[in-house]
Amino acid sequence: MRPFRDIPIRQKLMLIVMVTTGAAMLFAATGVVALDSFLFRNSLRRDLSSLAQIIADNSTAAAAFSDERSAAETLNALRARPHVASACIYLVDGTMLAGYSRAGETDTCPAARGSNELRFGSSGVTVSQAIVLSGRRVGTLMLFYDLGEITERIEVFGAIVLGVLLMSSVIAFLLSSRLRSIIATSISQLVSASRSVSETNDYSIRARKVSNDELGVLADRFNEMLAGIQSRDDTLRAALRDREEALHDAETARERFRFMAESMPQKIFTATPRGDVDYFNQQWTEFTGLAFKAIQNWGWTQFVHPGDLKANLDQWRHSLETGEPLLFQRRLCRADGEYRWHLSRVHPMRDEQGAISMWIGSDTDIHEQKEKEQELRLANEDLQQFAYSASHDLQEPVRNVTIYSEVISRRYQRVLDAEGLQFLGFLTEGGRRLATLINDLLAYTRAGVLESETAPVNSSLVLEMTLSSLAEAIRESGASLTYDSLPEIAMSEAHLQQVFQNLIGNALKYRREERPQIHISAVREDGGWRFSVRDNGIGINPLYKEKIFGVFKRLHRNDKYSGTGIGLAICQRVVERYGGRIWVESEPRRGATFYFTVPETTPRIPSRPVDSAAGGGQSS
Amino acid sequence: MEQVIRARRFLAAILLLCAPLSTRAAEQPSEYQVKAVFLLNFVKFIEWPASAFARADSPVTICIWGKDPFGETLDRTMAGEVVNGRRVVATRITRAPSPRSCQVLFLETWEKEAAKAVSGLGPGVLTVGEGRDFLRNSGMIAFSVEDRRVRFDINRTAAERASLKLSSKLLSVARNVEQ
Repeated sequence: MRPFRDIPIRQKLMLIVMVTTGAAMLFAATGVVALDSFLFRNSLRRDLSSLAQIIADNSTAAAAFSDERSAAETLNALRARPHVASACIYLVDGTMLAGYSRAGETDTCPAARGSNELRFGSSGVTVSQAIVLSGRRVGTLMLFYDLGEITERIEVFGAIVLGVLLMSSVIAFLLSSRLRSIIATSISQLVSASRSVSETNDYSIRARKVSNDELGVLADRFNEMLAGIQSRDDTLRAALRDREEALHDAETARERFRFMAESMPQKIFTATPRGDVDYFNQQWTEFTGLAFKAIQNWGWTQFVHPGDLKANLDQWRHSLETGEPLLFQRRLCRADGEYRWHLSRVHPMRDEQGAISMWIGSDTDIHEQKEKEQELRLANEDLQQFAYSASHDLQEPVRNVTIYSEVISRRYQRVLDAEGLQFLGFLTEGGRRLATLINDLLAYTRAGVLESETAPVNSSLVLEMTLSSLAEAIRESGASLTYDSLPEIAMSEAHLQQVFQNLIGNALKYRREERPQIHISAVREDGGWRFSVRDNGIGINPLYKEKIFGVFKRLHRNDKYSGTGIGLAICQRVVERYGGRIWVESEPRRGATFYFTVPETTPRIPSRPVDSAAGGGQSS
Repeated sequence: MEQVIRARRFLAAILLLCAPLSTRAAEQPSEYQVKAVFLLNFVKFIEWPASAFARADSPVTICIWGKDPFGETLDRTMAGEVVNGRRVVATRITRAPSPRSCQVLFLETWEKEAAKAVSGLGPGVLTVGEGRDFLRNSGMIAFSVEDRRVRFDINRTAAERASLKLSSKLLSVARNVEQ
């Protein structure tokens, strides 16, 4: 037999109902029977003792006068009580006065007892009652009551209880078979729903809610759980699909990148955020003649020129640490052993959070360009050298021309006629202008020379020195000159003086009728200082803003403003030599402001220094 | 055998222990012993008018007039008996009693003189005698012996004339009640 907990709920409910009903009915019936027999005994006791008293009372005279006939008559009245089996009256001396027994029976009377009592025995009740006359006992009534009545009663009761039990069981069975379907339907709904979910994996199945009780709540929770699983299932599927698409996209993107990288003339590589190179395009392997395996990660260092390698590594590590892009020129070894100049650019690629996801680098062969540049520079330097030495060597003959033309005009004034003197004047003037021109040219070529060591110089002091050399011109023009306190900068004293002299000289020269007002100041700017020289002169048409910095570019005829047209060219050359910039802001007749910047630290652009003769030339 | 003897001895011992009761029960009472008890019992079943007594606490007096057949049995029977709050006493008289001195008058033999005296006593005296003739002579209760048992007859008219109320129970045990 299966244990109770394993039988189906339908049968369980039935069993519970039947057992409960049966137990309750049995208990109730037992209670009723017990109560009834208790009440019956009590009422029987009262009934019998009053019966005995009445008979005893009616027997007083009979007992007092030992009248058997009268006693027998009194006892015969008991015929009305069929359960009284026998009765007797005893006299005080113990003799029996009269006896009675039920018709057709010969029950013997119980023996007399001294006290009034009512004793329940197994077969019946024995009652003993004293017969008293005026407080004196004259006899005893004994009575035997047969308990057949109780047995009868119990039998009837038993039959009724059994009938009620049977009837109630049948009713309970019928009712419970209707009622248990209420619970069993809910449960079987849940069971069938969960079974079909587990068989089909279809999470859109829902259990039907039959009632609003705990089972209804269970069905609701079950359905909520299914809904949760369904939505999670959907999300999971969608996520899987998205992931597949993303993978596909990534693959496509990677293919596109590869194709692009391979089809580029440049050498392309990518590196991990830590700096390990994980991709080189075909151009690399073709150029170096090395397999990818040999140069991946940090293997590329083997084909970098030993002279560039340390700086290259330093800058690469710096970029890896700071995330700054890398721009570097380096020589790379070709398969045939020749080193070629390359411009190397490496940029970090950042993800949405701004973290570096990879580095992308390219190397462009700039060897040809570099060579041309070199040639150009050499040519330029040669030209400069030539210009320098030419102007230097020209100084002497020109000086002679000027000096001797002056000597002639002094000594032979009387000899020469007016026309001759006029020609001589042209000669002297031309010689003087030639000398100035040559001096300026010399200054221009010298401006291109960067001295090897530039100690910081106090620009205020340099300005003052400049002003003292221009004192004559300032006095003549009656100009008012003001300046702010100026900073210390990294620039050669001579170069700064050249710039100041030209800019202030121009401001004095290109004046209007009114008194010139000139102001010099400097403000701090990103990475350096910005100087300005402001005047109230004739100003410059914006059309010529760039043009004026060219060599020999002059906007005015010689007769109005004297000059060689080389001053601003010198200024530009000097400022650019130090990595700065020079420009002008002006409107015609409103004055002009010249600006130039001086960086904090001068980039050391490697350049072959002008021949040492330049320094010597200047002094001579 | 031995067991039987032992059982008998045991029985004898029990009989000995119950001796006082069994001897009295076994001993057949004499006629006058029974009659003495009956006299007392009559008192219990009869109601006297208050005028029958000299005082409120006077005893019920049973007077034996003339010959006394009871002897000391009567006194023993009445000793300590109280009926309706009155003691019951027995006394012997030789002359006609004075009024209210006797409530029960027993006469063994009926004489003309006695009848005269009784009628003079007025109501409230129960007369008890022997034989049915006693009733014809206006006696109220008469003893007789039948089958060796003491019985009595009642002259109800005479008793009622004497203002005595006889209990129906008493009437029911009388052998005859004459109206």
